[in-house]
Amino acid sequence: MTTLLECGPLSAKDGEGRTLFHGARLTLDEGRLALLEGPSGSGKSTLLRQVAALLEAPGASRRLEGEEYGPGRLARWRARVTLAAQDAPVLPGTVAWNLEFPFAFRHARRNECDPAAQRAALDGVGLERLPLDRDVATLSGGERHRLALARALLWDPPVLLADEPLAGLDPDRAALCFERLAEHAHRAGRAVLCVLHEGVMGFSGDRRLRLVDSRLEEA
Amino acid sequence: MGPLIHLQPLDLVVSTMLVVAAGVISVLLRLGIGRRLAVAAVRTVIQLGLIGLVLEKIFALRQAAPVVLLVLLMIFFAGREAVKRTGRRYPSVYLDAWLAMAVSCLAVGGVVTQVVVGVHPWFDPQYVIPLLGMILGNSLTGVALGLDRFLEHLAVRRAEVELRLAFGATRAEALTPPLRDAMRTGMIPILNSMAAAGIVSLPGMMTGQILAGSPPLQAVAYQVVVMFMIAAAVAIGAMLVVLAAGRRLMDADGVLRLEGLQAR
Repeated sequence: MTTLLECGPLSAKDGEGRTLFHGARLTLDEGRLALLEGPSGSGKSTLLRQVAALLEAPGASRRLEGEEYGPGRLARWRARVTLAAQDAPVLPGTVAWNLEFPFAFRHARRNECDPAAQRAALDGVGLERLPLDRDVATLSGGERHRLALARALLWDPPVLLADEPLAGLDPDRAALCFERLAEHAHRAGRAVLCVLHEGVMGFSGDRRLRLVDSRLEEA
Repeated sequence: MGPLIHLQPLDLVVSTMLVVAAGVISVLLRLGIGRRLAVAAVRTVIQLGLIGLVLEKIFALRQAAPVVLLVLLMIFFAGREAVKRTGRRYPSVYLDAWLAMAVSCLAVGGVVTQVVVGVHPWFDPQYVIPLLGMILGNSLTGVALGLDRFLEHLAVRRAEVELRLAFGATRAEALTPPLRDAMRTGMIPILNSMAAAGIVSLPGMMTGQILAGSPPLQAVAYQVVVMFMIAAAVAIGAMLVVLAAGRRLMDADGVLRLEGLQAR
């Protein structure tokens, strides 16, 4: 098994100064779906945001396929180790705009994102009936979450960090979306680390990590 | 054209009766602004009186140093006022506002006074002070509106900014939408007054020149220069302050640092 991503040591405190986790090291293997668990408030989102380099992680090194991404290369890193953030943020505008905007960035790994691919990505998460020109302001919470997941899958990063991607979905749709995540993870050169929301049952990955007592460990 | 009509003390007394009339209306209708009107009227007289005395003195001296000093003071107060009008602040916001105002005002003011109008001597207070005053007064509004909008965008629409970052946007790419938003907001007042100039209102400076006896077309030429210089000063000032704020609040690697950003 090949190690795809190595990141650490990661440490963080919460707003009151209590340690969330200390000296955590994360490794993700190619072709694997890992689930990250832990009680609410244990710092799962913070950990994901640090891995994605959206939060500072002093002293941490970030490696993808053995290649170090240090200062000055973090935008490149995020294009490859992409966070699908909690609450499924969207940009004002159409569904199509929300799917294609990253492909115009300088560090995009490819610049084409044709409507057929966009359509297929939406169909894959059960949004067959959602037109590409719909204004995202009119989407329901569940539709928004699936749109955000479709965007992440279309973007096709080597490592996808998904923070509660199934929130607000009914069981059937949640199962469909989880299947898409697993498919993505199981491809060559890919890996997924996924945090599931509180109370969601019946999903298992290839590996379970737990954030408990300020340590990151195998569950 | 007749000689310039000088205002006598009696003329000021008569105009005082006008503001008293406004006060009477306020009292009759219980608007509750009588007191504020009185204070504002007194402030107007004192502030304008003082600056009048200062200007008389500076005009009489005809030396560079007092003019430069007054301009620097105006920049200082304009920067402070601009920051006062923003809803959020960060630690070095005053420095950024001052630098943005100073650069935009001196660059645009320099071109207008030295090249377009071509004043002699270069510091001639009769031209330099009113022109720079107009630039500062307007770019203050642009800087304040632009900065306020930019900081609000980063705070309120943070999730959108981070969404772009999460998909690999560089700092410049992530900050372009808030920058555009801020520039549009900052430019609205000058765009509005350029569009309305001459149709809805005669701009204040042009009115003043006509009252002072200038031929209308000369006054129009000056007003066009002034409008264009204000547009340039607003654009440059707002852009500089927003670029500076962007660099303070997001590091080169695109990590947002909003800890220092405080709402008031």
